[in-house]
Amino acid sequence: MDSKLKKRNLTPRTIIRVLVALVIVIYLGWRVYQIAFGEGTFGPETWMRLLIAGLVVGGMYALIAIGYTLVYGILFMINFAHGEVMMLGTYAGYFILEALAAIPTPTAVDPELTFLNAYPVISLIIAFVVGAVFSALLGYLIEKIAYRPLRRAPRLIPLISAIGASIFLQNAAQLLFGPQRRQYANPDFLTRGTGWMIPVGDKKVMLTYTGVFSLALSILLMIGLFILVKKTKLGKSMRAVAENKQAAALMGIDVDSVISKTFIISGVLAGAAGVMWGVHNGLFNHYVGFLPGIKAFTAAVMGGIGNIPGAMMGGMLLGLIESLGPALFGLDFQLKDVIAFTILILVLIFRPSGLLGEALSEEKI
Amino acid sequence: MKTSLKRGIRIGFVTGFIFIFLMVIGFTAVGTTMIGNLLGTLDNIGADARLPVINLLVLICIFGVITGINISGKNEDHNWLEIFVGGLSAGLIGGIFIAAAIWGIGSLHMQGVDFRTYLPKLTPDELPYLLFYSTPSAAATAYLMYFFIMTVATALLKRTLSIGNWMAKLSNRANLGVKKLTTKISFKNFFSSKLTIVILLIMVGVALYFLPLVWGSYWNYIMGTVAIYILLGLGLNIAVGFSGQLVLGYAAFFAIGAYTFAILTAPEPHGIELNIWLATLISIGTSTLAGLLLGLPILNLRGDYLAIVTLGFGEIIRILIKSDLLTSLTNGPNGITNVGQPSWLGKVFTDVNYVHLLMLLVLVGLFIAKRLKDSRTGRAWIAIREDQTVAQATGINTFRYKILALLLGAAFAGLAGALFASRNQFAGPEDFTLMVSINALCIVIVGGMGSLPGIILGAFVLKGIPELLRELEDYRLLVFGALLVVMMILRPSGLWPAGKKTSSSPDSDAIIQDKGELEA
Amino acid sequence: MNRPTIHARGVCKRFGGLSAVNDVDLTVAEHSISSIIGPNGAGKTTLFNCVSGFYSPEEGEIHFLGQPIQGLPTHKICKMGIARTYQNIRLFSQMTAIENVLVGQHPRMCTSWFESIIRNKRCCEEEHDAHRKALELLAFVGLAGLEDTPAHNLPYGAQRRLEIARALASEPKLLLLDEPTAGMNSQETAEMTDFIRKLRDSRDITILLIEHDMRVVMNISDQVTVLDYGLKIAEGKPAEIQSNQRVIEAYLGPGASALSKKFREKKTAYAA
Repeated sequence: MDSKLKKRNLTPRTIIRVLVALVIVIYLGWRVYQIAFGEGTFGPETWMRLLIAGLVVGGMYALIAIGYTLVYGILFMINFAHGEVMMLGTYAGYFILEALAAIPTPTAVDPELTFLNAYPVISLIIAFVVGAVFSALLGYLIEKIAYRPLRRAPRLIPLISAIGASIFLQNAAQLLFGPQRRQYANPDFLTRGTGWMIPVGDKKVMLTYTGVFSLALSILLMIGLFILVKKTKLGKSMRAVAENKQAAALMGIDVDSVISKTFIISGVLAGAAGVMWGVHNGLFNHYVGFLPGIKAFTAAVMGGIGNIPGAMMGGMLLGLIESLGPALFGLDFQLKDVIAFTILILVLIFRPSGLLGEALSEEKI
Repeated sequence: MKTSLKRGIRIGFVTGFIFIFLMVIGFTAVGTTMIGNLLGTLDNIGADARLPVINLLVLICIFGVITGINISGKNEDHNWLEIFVGGLSAGLIGGIFIAAAIWGIGSLHMQGVDFRTYLPKLTPDELPYLLFYSTPSAAATAYLMYFFIMTVATALLKRTLSIGNWMAKLSNRANLGVKKLTTKISFKNFFSSKLTIVILLIMVGVALYFLPLVWGSYWNYIMGTVAIYILLGLGLNIAVGFSGQLVLGYAAFFAIGAYTFAILTAPEPHGIELNIWLATLISIGTSTLAGLLLGLPILNLRGDYLAIVTLGFGEIIRILIKSDLLTSLTNGPNGITNVGQPSWLGKVFTDVNYVHLLMLLVLVGLFIAKRLKDSRTGRAWIAIREDQTVAQATGINTFRYKILALLLGAAFAGLAGALFASRNQFAGPEDFTLMVSINALCIVIVGGMGSLPGIILGAFVLKGIPELLRELEDYRLLVFGALLVVMMILRPSGLWPAGKKTSSSPDSDAIIQDKGELEA
Repeated sequence: MNRPTIHARGVCKRFGGLSAVNDVDLTVAEHSISSIIGPNGAGKTTLFNCVSGFYSPEEGEIHFLGQPIQGLPTHKICKMGIARTYQNIRLFSQMTAIENVLVGQHPRMCTSWFESIIRNKRCCEEEHDAHRKALELLAFVGLAGLEDTPAHNLPYGAQRRLEIARALASEPKLLLLDEPTAGMNSQETAEMTDFIRKLRDSRDITILLIEHDMRVVMNISDQVTVLDYGLKIAEGKPAEIQSNQRVIEAYLGPGASALSKKFREKKTAYAA
């Protein structure tokens, strides 16, 4: 029997890829060496601070990214208006907190007490729930009005519709609420900029209450979603519809209803992320959803679009890259988006279906 | 019965919600002004300069009419009772909804609540107008009454006239008539006569030459912008429309072309001051080179990944241009001023010259695009768009053709960029945002993917019309966004779809004729 | 005689843990009509995809007219002279019939994009030629007069024939037909069978097909190869295959051959 030939393609492309990869690894290694052993422009407390900031924003990106990935997995479309869904959550939470801060509940000790501070936990819960509900409702409406009529259309058409919806919603918010920036009224115990002081090296780093709160809530929601998708009937239906709509319909699954529920779930996550954004960052206006939306979509693609753990990982990773990247590469902080996008491009060049791969079936020949 | 009731409630609710929404964003002011212009009531401003309430009444009546029309929808098979119930429920629900909102807002206003912190458009000046200058209850009742009456009346009227059927019959007859007319005159033969084409072209050429001299600098500016966007659309069309690759960061190539031109011709950052035409060529070159560098590694990516990567590239270029890192090259956020301008016969280009040049370039671009489309290359691109795997198996080197499409697209963008910078005498990072890429993409898709007349039409619609609608001002983008959604739902193949007219066989024509006779 | 059109040895194609094609040898003689048959899931289309370049086999070699082709990109393989049709028709549905055939001619034309813009003499001549050839091909497959119909408007049988026309446009030496009579009634099947035979007889072409319809297979094949679960279980002339026990069992299950033997004995007993 002849020997079985195994051909390894040594095309020029492979060679270039290997070279580029080598260059990047060497550069990174050199930078790490510089940072660890050199004079170091940044002390360990700065790194810690950047790390924490990256994790917190990464959690929010992850929540929004899951929304993108869920919708893509089921409809194969980029929900361009998802950032605006988050924005509405931010506004809704804002109004609720303002309202609660205006309800006087005076006590003997503190005649100026408001509902917000008398019952801070309940207030927060109400704010989050209302934010999530409004975002979910908006997501549902967007699907019904702008996407459902286009379900059979070629891929680019719903994308334009999504872009149109996004522009419409941004401007509607601007007209409704005005273009001025607003500031979130946090309850006292969750004031922005306060937190635990942690010793790192010989300096102290602040672990903000809002940061910890956001990250904890993000993780909770992610776990909740994971359980929903893997264990519940709805999750199964969603996966079935994502895999093959017709077959799912033949099995008795109401495809339209499942799709609506998917949008609702992604809306809930985005709304929670929106309120979180407001609580943690404070200032916002009608553009608050635009850039995080794009970044979260980038994160979802980086992790492998259609892949839920991928979206979670991509989101956290993007937050960390944004935060730590400029310092790591010795570049200006204003270039953080450049670094993030460059890393995305590099990831996709070397792993075209994202870091964790796609959860989609191969194209049948 | 129940369905018409539910339908009525749903329609009433939706219309009511839309009205309240428009009111809260202040659109009523604009709407009433437009109505005033139409009806001429704006001149009858009272002694104390109160705005005419009639316009507002007309507005609410229009909403009632729209609601009424929607009750029965397209098919006219409802009987009288259903229509009545539908109209009643819609009018009541919508009317009560609006009235309640008015009453609520009005009462709060009476109590001195200032809405402006949360809803800036509800100014204390405008609110009394919205309340017809009377009490909240009275105003609420007025809204309810007028809306309700108009809704029911329109619904019943529509049923009476059986407008639906009548319109369908009318449009059928019109279609048949047009068909008979066109077959008689046979436009095709008319147009294919070489003499007529030449005469037509001369007429168009003359018009294009003289119009810019006549219509003033405002229109020259707008037409110039439209022309630049047509060039952008043509370039993007080759990448997206012909070969189906979704490029979301097209503004990057636009920016590179503009900045190359600016750097080479402006005295400021570097003082090179190269010859204008040479600089233009170099700009096209750098854009194309950028396209090559971007395209080589990423063209294998699947559609949506390609989209996000190109979007990222667009943002990278913009941020880099603005950054401190490259300020020595690009002048950072301030941009480059005094960009060079070409001269003709010794005199620097006027805006008329620019428009002529742009028109000429648009014609050249169209010529190139048309020639490419009807060639082996164009067919290869369209095959790649339709089914890339099969296209490759049919002998097309997909990678080479996709790169070619991207390079040509980048080249067009580079040219457009150079002209853009030259005309504005300025190149700044804020002119190359994501919105520019999205605008170009919308022109291609809304105009009709792969369709050349569609791009021209798309550029006019998307860039020209917002200029015309200056009155709408703040609401332009709102309308734009809504229009995009509506356009995609109503006409996804575009304003002027690509594709040949299918030769209708004699049989199908006869069938249509017979059908027409049956219905008549 | 001459070198074989296809000479494949030891071809293995795996997907994860599944061996879709397992150590298959295949030899297709020049100017012949060969068929690959086998129950569903036997690996026929996978083997096709290996030959046409869609898949790269993990092991084994495939030689086309003496040249190794395993692992080459599909457009190169097409240029070398292999064309195919697809199980579920994959035409360029928005293009007209003639445009589909013109695309098929792509590898035999050489006008570049620049020449297309300036329309030099060579470009014009080539386009003219291509159009003429396309019309001839359409007439050959029986679609004369339908050149300007969009592909998605054509009836099913016409679409199948258009796909064959598109494949023929690249002047292939080997034509792969994937279930050409799927979804056809007996009259259409008979027409298609005649057409395939006419095709082979009138051109310098070898045909390799996948088929489920045994009448077609037995009627026109010079050689039949049988696959089952990725393995080649039989090969030979149609008559040999028909009475091959393993083949019968692959289709009808174990014990079937004994049954069929019993029926054949009864048949001869009755005839006597």
